[in-house]
Amino acid sequence: MALMKASAFNLRDKFGDWWDGANSAQRTVFRIVLIGIFYALPMLNNPIIDTPETSFSSVLFYPLIMFSLMAVGLNVVVGKSGILDLGYVAFFAIGAYTHAVLSIHTPLNFWEILPFAMAFAMLAGVILGLPALRLRGDYLAIITLGFGEIVRIVAVNTEAIGGAAGLTDIPGPTSILGIEFTVMDPRPYYWLTLTLLLLVIWGVIRLSHRKPGRAWEAIREDEDVAEFMGVATLKYKLWAFIIGGAVGGLAGAIYASQIRSIQPELFTLNLSIMILACVVFGGMGNIWGVILGAVILGYAPEKLRFLSDYRIIFFGLLMVVMMNIRPNGLMPRKKREHFQEKSK
Amino acid sequence: MDFSILISDFWSLGLDGLVVGAIYALISLGYTLVYGVLRLINFAHSEIFMIGTMAVYFVVLQFGFTGYEDPLPLIKFIGIFLLFATVAAIVSGGSAVLLEIVAYRRLRNMGASRLSSLISAIGASFFLVEVFRKISDSKNLDFPRLINKDPFFTVGTLYLSADKVLVLVGATIIFLILNRIINHTKLGMGIRAVSQDERTAILMGVNVNRIISYTFLLGGVLAGVGSAFYMVFYETTKANVGFLVGISAFTAAVLGGIGNVRGALVGSFALGLIQQYTSAVLGYNWRDVVTFVILVLVLLVKPTGLFGEALQKARV
Amino acid sequence: MSKKLLEVQDVLVNFGGVTALNKVNLHVSEGEIAALIGPNGAGKTTVFNIVTGYYTPTSGRVIVDGESVLGLRPYQIARKGLGRTFQNIRLFGDMTAAENVATAADSLNKSGLVGSLFGGPRSRRDEAASMEKAHELLRFIGLDHRALQMAKNLPYGDQRRLEIARALALNPKVLLLDEPAAGFNPQEKIELGELIRKIRDRGFAVLLIEHDMSLVMDISDRVSVLDFGQKIAEGTPVEIQKNQRVIDAYLGVAEDAS
Ligand SMILES: Nc1ncnc2c1ncn2[C@@H]1O[C@H](COP(=O)(O)OP(=O)(O)O)[C@@H](O)[C@H]1O
Ligand SMILES: [Mg+2]
Repeated sequence: MALMKASAFNLRDKFGDWWDGANSAQRTVFRIVLIGIFYALPMLNNPIIDTPETSFSSVLFYPLIMFSLMAVGLNVVVGKSGILDLGYVAFFAIGAYTHAVLSIHTPLNFWEILPFAMAFAMLAGVILGLPALRLRGDYLAIITLGFGEIVRIVAVNTEAIGGAAGLTDIPGPTSILGIEFTVMDPRPYYWLTLTLLLLVIWGVIRLSHRKPGRAWEAIREDEDVAEFMGVATLKYKLWAFIIGGAVGGLAGAIYASQIRSIQPELFTLNLSIMILACVVFGGMGNIWGVILGAVILGYAPEKLRFLSDYRIIFFGLLMVVMMNIRPNGLMPRKKREHFQEKSK
Repeated sequence: MDFSILISDFWSLGLDGLVVGAIYALISLGYTLVYGVLRLINFAHSEIFMIGTMAVYFVVLQFGFTGYEDPLPLIKFIGIFLLFATVAAIVSGGSAVLLEIVAYRRLRNMGASRLSSLISAIGASFFLVEVFRKISDSKNLDFPRLINKDPFFTVGTLYLSADKVLVLVGATIIFLILNRIINHTKLGMGIRAVSQDERTAILMGVNVNRIISYTFLLGGVLAGVGSAFYMVFYETTKANVGFLVGISAFTAAVLGGIGNVRGALVGSFALGLIQQYTSAVLGYNWRDVVTFVILVLVLLVKPTGLFGEALQKARV
Repeated sequence: MSKKLLEVQDVLVNFGGVTALNKVNLHVSEGEIAALIGPNGAGKTTVFNIVTGYYTPTSGRVIVDGESVLGLRPYQIARKGLGRTFQNIRLFGDMTAAENVATAADSLNKSGLVGSLFGGPRSRRDEAASMEKAHELLRFIGLDHRALQMAKNLPYGDQRRLEIARALALNPKVLLLDEPAAGFNPQEKIELGELIRKIRDRGFAVLLIEHDMSLVMDISDRVSVLDFGQKIAEGTPVEIQKNQRVIDAYLGVAEDAS
């Protein structure tokens, strides 16, 4: 294991060197090939990667790509800004319920609903964030924990949205670009999610390298000092929350459109904790790390029977162990430093 | 919404509020004590309480009650109660010490960020809940009725029953003992010293790691005793029983002013009363929503709670 | 008399029972290096925490360039023109030296998050300006060769100087330095003195908290002395050195304090 880690690191640095040296044409080719591989993944048909319960392409949609999307969203909050949000599932639930309610009760179709799902989740982010983000980290954690649970309790107790029984017969997305979204075939949902995930990654990376990214990082490092250096900390924390919320809402809407029936019980704290575990395990703050975390933690319990029964036990333990021995995760956020000679 | 119930059941709701408040108090003291020495919310404290209820359940199971017996005579009941309360106190106290070692100590000594400690504690919390979910097979573990709960004393709408008297009297005794420990023992002085100023405490020769361990122990023991009262009063437990009880106890600690022992007591009784009266009006389903709203409001409007000193900002 | 850029008027601060500042009056004028000295625990750092908005005084006023800043958040006060360093170095350790400085420089432009996401012309311009400013300041402070190294990996002395560069990125009207020479050897102290003069010559007024008397006396135009939260003297370095109250309260103790 230790050996594997060491060689992974070398690979990473080698790759970094190559990437730094590559010209833009080489980089573009690399990106296209990589993205192409990801789009082609559901075509892989191999019993080795199928899981006992379902086919690989089904697992690919849920949990792999769904967890990845949510982990990338949560990472903006937890990893980039250092805000511990334990109620992330609430945004996912809001997105799912938005799609369910609007698609059942209005003539809007999935594509028209998506912006609403994101907007409602963002609004929830503001409503929760404006008060909560003024508080210190551990209070914030407990408030978000409570919020995640309250959203579920409210859903259980509100008959208008189905109460404890939830909502059924939720329409799926209408076909687009000649691709049909059926109940039987998870692949179109995977492609859809992958496309959106790539967009989200693009946006997050862009922000990370600019003013907002620096502000988030400064807040994570030392919030007081960030404020002394003129960073409007509340504003940037709120933005992190809103962006995380929007991504969560997006994921929820897609999820609801695929499984076609939702109940409050799908949106328990355990889901928040699983996504948090993906972020922590993969490497807080490193977008590739958290995706790796989501893929491993999503796949392992599906593939390995003994893990699936003890999933949360395993995830909880993992969080304790990771914090103690490798707090920065499997693939830590790490800037490649450049050394220069002193110019004098 | 039904306000008339407030009038008709005013006294009995109040009594229940105090009983529930006494149980919350025993748990919220753990949050407050640990917060005092670590300046950190112990997220897994609710699971320390849960483990206590499990210990109580297990002990009582050994007696082979079926749940259909006649209630025990008072003396015998008190004997059994003392037994399982002691076991719960030991088990919860031990678990709390272990938790501190596994989830907090190394991180603290490494100087890790608060975020790391929080995540570690949350991981531990979920780990424990799920372990007990497996052990209990996700079932509610129902507890036999050990004591006659029929009211033995009635004035108007106030019905006094043995279990409620037990909780109120028992908790009061514990609070008096705790008061002595904190104000009149070396351990209490150590805890207060570390709570006030860790650096000075170190200079004064206080072994901070040891004080922190004892603080977890004390908080765990109190939660264990609380779990014994809880089981007598509610007669059921389950793996995630700690979540909502924990949120309530934590809210009570914040309401009273986290870090302040007297505040935890007052906050707990206040919250117990508020919960009983509001659930009577709004319906029991909304009890936890009300609790949560109270938590948020207190944190926003007066984060220092009723008795808390001004929360100090980190010194720059 | 030149314009007062920072004024502290009758400021009273209580921490629990402790009176950390008792009706203190101070000011910093355009183009000057003012020094604030006093034994440990005298309340010097508290002055910085008050003027930068971290604490609110029990009573009194703080005025930056003619405007009261009481009640403003620290980031707003920073943008109005107060940049500070810290007695215990507090850099953004996992960010590069250039990013540390750029973060402060960012706060002077109005680019928002949406602009950064879609890369409008303004955000592009602002982004370039922040980076340019960061590199210019690193050059000024002699750290350009460290630009792409992580702050936490810099040598101690460079970290202290990086804090100064970061504070300068705010274009402060007054630069607040909290014991910048702590841990420096005599040669480094001399270089620091020159650097502070250079900063003043670039047009930034400086308020310096420092224990090293030869440095303070060498570069300051005016020295104020705090003792137990009370201002006990103010004057030119020569006057302060001769002041009996200061000698009693402070200079005897200062030799072993650091
Ligand atoms: N946040 C705080 N809470 C309580 N007391 C404080 C706080 N900050 C400073 N003090 C007290 O105020 C006094 C002045 O401290 P400080 O300004 O740091 O002194 P100096 O910088 O001159 O050494 C000291 O007695 C210190 O203990
Ligand atoms: Mg100081």
